[in-house]
Amino acid sequence: MALTGLDIYKLLPKTNCGDCGSPTCLAFAMKLASKQAELQSCPHASEEATAALGAASQPPIRLVTIGAGDNRVEIGNETVLFRHQETFYHQTALAVRVREDDPEREARLEKIAGLRFTRVGEEIAVDLAALEEESGDPEKFAAFALRAGELSGLPAVLISSSLPCLGAALEKIGKSRPLICPRSPEKIEDFAALAREHSCPLAVDGGSVEKTAELSLRAREAGAEDLVLLAGSGSLKEKLADLTVIRRQALRKQFRPLGYPTIAFTNPDADPEAQALEAAVLIAKYAGVVVTDLIRPEYILPLLTVRQNIYTDPQKPIQVEPKLYPVGTPDRNSPLLVTTNFSLTYFTVEGEIEASRIGAYLLVVDTEGTSVLTAWAADKFNAASISRALNDSGAADLLDHRNLILPGYVAVLSGKVEEESGWTVEVGPREASGIPKFLKTAYRGGTGKDQS
Amino acid sequence: METVIEKWPAAINTVTIGAREDGGGTRSSTVTIGGETTLPFLAFEGAPPHRPALALDILDYSPDDWPETLREPFREALGDPAEWAGLCQEKYRPDLICLRLQSLHPDWGDTDPERAAETVRAVLAATSLPLIICGCDHPEKDNLAFPLCAAAAAGENCLIGFATEENYKTLTAACLADNHAIWAQSPIDINIAKQVNILISEMGFDPKRIVIDPNTGALGYGIEYTYSIMERIRLAALDGDKMLAMPLLGDVGADAWRAKEAKAAEKDFPEWGEENLRGPLWEAATAALLLQAGADLLIFRHPEALRKIRDHLDNLLDIA
Amino acid sequence: MFLISERINGMFTAVKKAIAARDAAAIGEIALRQLAAGADALDLNVGTAAAEPAEAMVWLVESVRAVSAATLCLDHPNIEVIRAGAEAAGDNFIINSTTAREEDLAKFLPLAAQTGAGLIALTLDEKGVPNTVDGRVEIAARILIAAEGAGLPPDRLFIDPVTLPINVAQDQPKKLLEAVSQFKLLSDPPPRAVIGLSNLASGSSEKSLLTGAFLAMAMGAGLDAVILDPEDRLLIDLLITGEVLLNRTIYNRDYLKAWRAGKT
Repeated sequence: MALTGLDIYKLLPKTNCGDCGSPTCLAFAMKLASKQAELQSCPHASEEATAALGAASQPPIRLVTIGAGDNRVEIGNETVLFRHQETFYHQTALAVRVREDDPEREARLEKIAGLRFTRVGEEIAVDLAALEEESGDPEKFAAFALRAGELSGLPAVLISSSLPCLGAALEKIGKSRPLICPRSPEKIEDFAALAREHSCPLAVDGGSVEKTAELSLRAREAGAEDLVLLAGSGSLKEKLADLTVIRRQALRKQFRPLGYPTIAFTNPDADPEAQALEAAVLIAKYAGVVVTDLIRPEYILPLLTVRQNIYTDPQKPIQVEPKLYPVGTPDRNSPLLVTTNFSLTYFTVEGEIEASRIGAYLLVVDTEGTSVLTAWAADKFNAASISRALNDSGAADLLDHRNLILPGYVAVLSGKVEEESGWTVEVGPREASGIPKFLKTAYRGGTGKDQS
Repeated sequence: METVIEKWPAAINTVTIGAREDGGGTRSSTVTIGGETTLPFLAFEGAPPHRPALALDILDYSPDDWPETLREPFREALGDPAEWAGLCQEKYRPDLICLRLQSLHPDWGDTDPERAAETVRAVLAATSLPLIICGCDHPEKDNLAFPLCAAAAAGENCLIGFATEENYKTLTAACLADNHAIWAQSPIDINIAKQVNILISEMGFDPKRIVIDPNTGALGYGIEYTYSIMERIRLAALDGDKMLAMPLLGDVGADAWRAKEAKAAEKDFPEWGEENLRGPLWEAATAALLLQAGADLLIFRHPEALRKIRDHLDNLLDIA
Repeated sequence: MFLISERINGMFTAVKKAIAARDAAAIGEIALRQLAAGADALDLNVGTAAAEPAEAMVWLVESVRAVSAATLCLDHPNIEVIRAGAEAAGDNFIINSTTAREEDLAKFLPLAAQTGAGLIALTLDEKGVPNTVDGRVEIAARILIAAEGAGLPPDRLFIDPVTLPINVAQDQPKKLLEAVSQFKLLSDPPPRAVIGLSNLASGSSEKSLLTGAFLAMAMGAGLDAVILDPEDRLLIDLLITGEVLLNRTIYNRDYLKAWRAGKT
């Protein structure tokens, strides 16, 4: 949120000289507040006014990049508290912790690299390897950091409160822009200097939101620009409170010391399932980076899915891959239905077919993620697109019949689809909830008895 | 730094399910949900007055189509809802039991409405926990069964569902007559969620006895819609919209276990890991998200998912 | 939208008679009717006929308080009358109103700040009501700065840009709309904007259409509160619809019913 008219007015000379073209300073301030004028129009504006207005035009939460090259991640620059108000822009980076003294550490790093899956056409994966220094030995930690990059292929979070250890590691891997993450409020200026020297982002851990805000100011004054704020180290309740307060202060109050993305750790003493649920909450509630000790796919896949869902742009719905899907266990006489690739439409139709307990094929047409009616209105779900999808799907090889069930809402397309595809069209129910009844009682195709 | 504290003009309704002897019923406990004055779990603005309640599903037939992971905890009781209910209460300690009268459905047995009422009686006798009763989602059959089931549970102050925009009258009348709360469902549509509540209230039913089910999408299968609709309902309610000020219900288990990631066998998807770990966690993760969006009542299938969420709630509420 | 009922006003015959006869039941009845129709607050104006306005104000307050704890809007230019009414009301009231004249601000701002009341402030100063948008915003800014000094937070301040009748000042409604939207940019939190609707159509034909259309437009410009007759069904339907169009209430098929159900 920008400065208000009165905020700006107080920064102006209050002489009502009219040199800016507005009759009074307040009228000019109102124009600035509603972005209908620029401060340069006032020849008497002070440096203080220029600085304040400049700061107010910065995004309320800074965008911070961790890593370099193709696998870098960007966090921050969020604009809302609730995803329906706009969207959440930069998804939470998921980091898996590897401890320096863990004898299994190399195997663990290799496993992290393998934690990638494909869901609804999108690759989802762990983003960061969080390397926890334990030896106190700079050379050892530096070697570990280097090896971790080779094995995981991921940017690092360097967790250490030892300046020499961090310094040595940064000499080796500083170019890949790891996130420096000291777990102590001490010596913030020294850590900030290290971050500035290597142009790396720095995490700030004050132990409480107020202290963290103080530290972030000091870190900034010491030259570290890309900061990440550590949220809560106690219970999940405290982490949730810290993350919420930080996000609100940044967005609602434009409170600069908290205008950065956040990092949160799941409780390392909790069992893996509790950590997974905790991570799910941290992802939903604003964490920029979540560090966990989880490594098994049973725990990571749901978390990556949580992230994918929460960070889906409400204006750009998830699309499923357009292709032919078997539902249940269909055979060569099973019915064939067609729908669009809007995820919710697909899930609903698929669920209703499954509930009917009749095996079937479901043909999904690419309508750029729109529902049946919207796609029809936009001419994306039409005879041409349906026929093309039908031909490309290979349905003809799987089925002995040539019957296609069309959603009831687009019954008008029947004739054209028959013409273009050569298949016989049956008009199904308008709502997915009618599918089970339709398949049981109204559907005539599939057995060939109505082919005359 | 002055922390932004949000003061909302309105609170969420509280709904009590179950009745003890002094309330005209036979339950050993009751469950009260709702009453929030802030967004979920923001204790620094006001602790939630009631812990979200956790229910466990039981079915009135033997669910042969359930994956093994889900059948295993109830094996000896499957097919006998009364025994199943007793087993749940004793072994898994949910706050409530949710009885699903699925066999009423023409596709799932087409059983008699009278039999459904018998089942309600048997389950009430077998468990002393508050009861949620859910029809089969077939309007004609449900409308035959609702009045009988409501009467069979008279005095027990159950939550009965579900009412929809197209089918609410019979259930509302039955709940008015026998004094039960209503589970109102809408198809992931906030406008209809509000409309159903208006329709039910217009029949003289107290809106403070309604629970909203905005229809759960499972994790990975549309939960982002449910999540945002729940958030919008909760924000509107705290801002004073009385027709959305009802506690929220997440029908978690039924939807989560439709997800491939929950039920697929390890042999089919080795890269996803063990199904015994994966299924319950998929269900619990779905629930964890809905809790953040404002859910007050969650219905589970797998007792392990319920247990995880009970512990998770301790963590969220900071109860050691 | 915050709805302030204008009907308990000594200018209306029924109210005038009730005040004269000290018929508390009649006042109570009007109050309940207006609240049932959707009023969030009740403006109390003793009119010009009362010989002892302070005493009449106290009596009006007590008559309404006997049936409702709703927010009261104590409407009188004299601070002593307001003070008497405030004492009788206890809490939950708004002072209607102060001008931006220095002497008025010096009296009313501290009273509002100390009693926890809201305060309606007119953009009217020693020189009268300005004819321009800028003039109104300047006055609003002055009021806000003075309120800050007196310890009255902006969100307890209702700025009224002063509605004039359409048949004498047709250039004014457009300027009011612009002024309302600029008020919102003045501070954070912004002051609330309020208008008295009935004056717009005073002496005109098509009163309903004029006030209704203007209400809808003013809501779009950022109006927060309005003084009107909530029993005017068309106006309230427009207001409810405006709330839906501005995404302040959740739409549903029976949204008019839903709004009214929420008021009872």
